[in-house]
Amino acid sequence: MDAICEKIRSEILNISHKSGHGHIPTSFSIVEMLVAVYQTMNHDPKRPNMPDRDLFVLSKGHASLGFYCSLAAHGYFNFEDVYAFGAFDSNFGCHPDRTKVPGAEASTGSLGHGIGLAVGMALGARIGNSGKKRQVYTLIGDGESNEGSVWEAIMVATNLKLDNFTVLYDNNNSQGRCLPIPNPAERFAAFGCQAIEVDGHDLAAVKRALTVSTDRPRVVVCNTVKGYGCKTLSDNVYEWHRRAPKPDELNMLLGELHAGNV
Amino acid sequence: MRATFRNTVTELAGQDDKVVVVLGDISVYMFKDYWERHPDRFYNMGICENTLISVGAGLGSQGYRTFVHTICPFLTDRSIEQIKLDMCYNNFPGNIVTCGATFDYAWDGATHHAYTDLAVLRMLPGMEVIQCGSKKEVDALLRSQYNNDHQTYFRLSDHPHTIDTNLEFGKGTVLKNEGSPVTIMTAGPILTNVMEAVRDLPVNLVYFHTLKPIDKDLIRQFRDTEILVVHDAYGLYEAISEVPALRMHYHGLPDAFCGWYGTVHDIRKRIGLDPAGIRAAAMALIQDRSQAA
Repeated sequence: MDAICEKIRSEILNISHKSGHGHIPTSFSIVEMLVAVYQTMNHDPKRPNMPDRDLFVLSKGHASLGFYCSLAAHGYFNFEDVYAFGAFDSNFGCHPDRTKVPGAEASTGSLGHGIGLAVGMALGARIGNSGKKRQVYTLIGDGESNEGSVWEAIMVATNLKLDNFTVLYDNNNSQGRCLPIPNPAERFAAFGCQAIEVDGHDLAAVKRALTVSTDRPRVVVCNTVKGYGCKTLSDNVYEWHRRAPKPDELNMLLGELHAGNV
Repeated sequence: MRATFRNTVTELAGQDDKVVVVLGDISVYMFKDYWERHPDRFYNMGICENTLISVGAGLGSQGYRTFVHTICPFLTDRSIEQIKLDMCYNNFPGNIVTCGATFDYAWDGATHHAYTDLAVLRMLPGMEVIQCGSKKEVDALLRSQYNNDHQTYFRLSDHPHTIDTNLEFGKGTVLKNEGSPVTIMTAGPILTNVMEAVRDLPVNLVYFHTLKPIDKDLIRQFRDTEILVVHDAYGLYEAISEVPALRMHYHGLPDAFCGWYGTVHDIRKRIGLDPAGIRAAAMALIQDRSQAA
């Protein structure tokens, strides 16, 4: 595991423990995806409103803790700032508020919304612009993709041939229990996207996928494991879906993380 | 009203390169001239109302002044969460313009009726709600509100009134002030029927096109009268009741799907919103008031 990803996961555990909040397994599954985006996109953490920046929208807003820790790891603020996660009057809620979190381009939480917003942002970057366009990235979940609005947005994006629009699909099989989406790469390709399937925990592979040239919307299907990094989490995703670790559990999970016991 | 909407927005787009039109496969050929002039700011996006709103909000986030337009119940009922979250909660500005007010598509049945849009959208933080009644109101209010930092709802109808009103956003109009103990308050296109019903009756008549913010100062001027609220869509009655301790009387939609087909006039007649029904309600209130006195 890359050092930055291990650091982010350890802070997710620490902050969840301190705050009593957090969807840890789903935050763990997207860490490499987030790091890949922030190591690829044009952004400046010291100028989060830089006019020509690329944009990232976390559509699966319940993974906010992973998002905040990734922003902190890339210099938007300190990890300590996030210790008030979910607390009254905190800037860091259990779902992101764009007006409170530097680097958050959209307030999300109800599933199936961020992707449509991101399509609008990508379209806006194209209007009146024949030159280099800003890139717009959004991260959606497989559970979120039960929502019809996800597929509406994909249809619109492909019809508009938005070549500056990238979806990172967290294929962590969270809907295996309910309404699974088999062969997602085939589905996105059938909708007209450039679909690339990678190991979502291989940071280099995700970054390579984000830079493959395309003339259409790009979907990077990232095969991931909920709770990746701690075997206790990945073996017990339902129990840990929304739960904060107690002191002894924190030490156990940090031990697993640092031992590389994924 | 739709032609006025088209004309005004086409003119605005010629002056403001941030104007973008997003259609849900309605009014497309009406916008042919706009489309030819501004092809990169015109999108007939598809029959996908949720995404129309989300994409419109995304465009708003990038500084565009978007007009999202399609049929009223489909856009407002189906996409209420997108309006609430993607536009209002995110505070991305934009304009929603609908056609098919209340019973405009009477013959299509209740799937095409719009009962709740004004009332529901009025409750969303930041939202401006306009029930356009005349073509002049459409033109004036589009111009004054399209490029502010709010989310603005414009409700168009195929049956506008032709009465001159105050065209200022947020302001109502006193159309009759007879010092009467009975005041009729109404909004939008049904003013045609209301005016016909009460023109020669001893009542005051107050009209609104803006339901949010409602003109409370104007309402307070009539707080000591019996107020009969005549409406063909939920929202006005609730807006007026923001002023406390009024003596309000309801004359509007029944708690029923009015799926009797025919025309808007047929349905209005059945539920007492034709001129005769409105006149009867006004006269009954006048009579009650006389007996009480």
